Amino acid sequence: MVKLDKKDLRKSWRTWAMYHLSSMSFEKLEANGFAHSMVPILKKLYKDNPEEYKKALIRHSVFYNTEPQSGSIVNGIVASMEEERANGKEITDEMIHSVKTGLMGPIAGMGDSIIQGIVIPVLLSIGMGISSNGNPLGVIVYMVGFLATILSLSYVLYMRGYQLGISAVDGLIGINSEKLRNAFAVLGTMVVGGLAASFVNINTILKIPNGEESIDFQKTIDGFFPKLLPLLAVLLCWYLISKRKWSATKILILLICISIAGVLLNVF
Amino acid sequence: MDGLLLLQAFLIGLFCYLGSISSPWLMGVTGGYYVLGRPLVAGLIIGIILGDVTTGVILGVAVQAAFIATISTGGTQNSEITYAAYGGIALGILSDASPGVAVTLSVGIGALGLILHNFMMIINSIWNKRVEKATAKGDEKGIVLNNAIYPQIVNFLLRVVPITLAVYYGQGFVTKTLDVIPKDVIQIMTVLGGLLPALGVALLMNLLIKENAQFIYFLAGFVFIAFISNSMIALTAVALLIAYLVYSSSSGQKANAEDEVI
Repeated sequence: MVKLDKKDLRKSWRTWAMYHLSSMSFEKLEANGFAHSMVPILKKLYKDNPEEYKKALIRHSVFYNTEPQSGSIVNGIVASMEEERANGKEITDEMIHSVKTGLMGPIAGMGDSIIQGIVIPVLLSIGMGISSNGNPLGVIVYMVGFLATILSLSYVLYMRGYQLGISAVDGLIGINSEKLRNAFAVLGTMVVGGLAASFVNINTILKIPNGEESIDFQKTIDGFFPKLLPLLAVLLCWYLISKRKWSATKILILLICISIAGVLLNVF
Repeated sequence: MDGLLLLQAFLIGLFCYLGSISSPWLMGVTGGYYVLGRPLVAGLIIGIILGDVTTGVILGVAVQAAFIATISTGGTQNSEITYAAYGGIALGILSDASPGVAVTLSVGIGALGLILHNFMMIINSIWNKRVEKATAKGDEKGIVLNNAIYPQIVNFLLRVVPITLAVYYGQGFVTKTLDVIPKDVIQIMTVLGGLLPALGVALLMNLLIKENAQFIYFLAGFVFIAFISNSMIALTAVALLIAYLVYSSSSGQKANAEDEVI
């Protein structure tokens, strides 16, 4: 009976938290990072069985990619499955592969929308608000806020994954987690709407002739819908990405063209 | 040869490396890419290195605004944010550029940086092959060297060398160019700096919105900031409430559906 102790688990988490993307390539992404994080676990479990040790390392070198910070839960689950397997429980290669491939998609979707879609932009906007006059305090708020939240989240998720083992899988991809994902998507979408209104910035200098005088067109717009032009700019980009499948680079070039034309024609 | 500037340029290059997406040394992406790699943080660090914290932070906020919604889920990048932040903000401070110009410098440098980043990912395939061999032999040292150390030497060189050179030699070039270019071009850069976040926002929307009807949540968030209050904290609190209502109402429906089955 071999048992993993807290030290092995901590080392495995730390290895994952550091090296998940350190040899990222187009075909492997986080595959080697995953295998690397399993080294402390497998070395303990198969220390008297070099053949099994090799096989286990090969098992964990297949393509893998997820949101790495929340994805630490998968490493925890797999560590517990490897432990059971080493202790003679019937756990096949296929079971381990299907847990990894079954979880990496949903966790990437949820982790990316929460961390990149909500946590980072919200913390950044708070920091930017404090720092807009050059005060470094806002930067420090962002750094401390992000590190404290995400490092503890990643650690807790790894340990939780290890405790629950394979039984965590149902909770992560069941109906309940889909409802949770939808709720987070609502939260994220609203926050992104706010980001658009805060940070997209475009004003027209067009003037409407009105007898002797002229009226600023921008003032007219502000009167009934402030930030209407930024909204239209976002809608145009969104339409081109989601419906026309334009690449980000193509849209960047379009935005450059709009800026040039707009300034030369005295619109912006 | 300006020894101090060279040292400053090197330090900026070093932080550009530490903040890169694949640098492991500060707990992977957590302390690297998502902290040091953000333009807001880069602005403070460059400000400290160049001895002008206030300007650094102000330019950091401006460049961060353009990259506010930058996401890194495969294939959606148009600019590598860490090269963009360190190259653009440093040259912006050194050439006394306006925030709008610093944003445009960042976007340009980020586009070049993306080429270098993709080059690194291709080179990494070689190290990946060597990890595979080490794995097949159960060679732990080989895994560590080829997953963690060798790829990072390449990453280090691809970040530190170009950024150091760009900052060291770029200052005079950028200052001279800004002196001679017409006012219209500066205005175009400023307009572009304001438009760029629209692209990042659209990419995030593409990630979050699965049905067209969900656009209503985006619109609600937008008009909240545009009409009611300019506070992201207030909006987040309201959005949490609505997300909770969505969650609890959808669990009601599912429970009913299960009851019917029974």
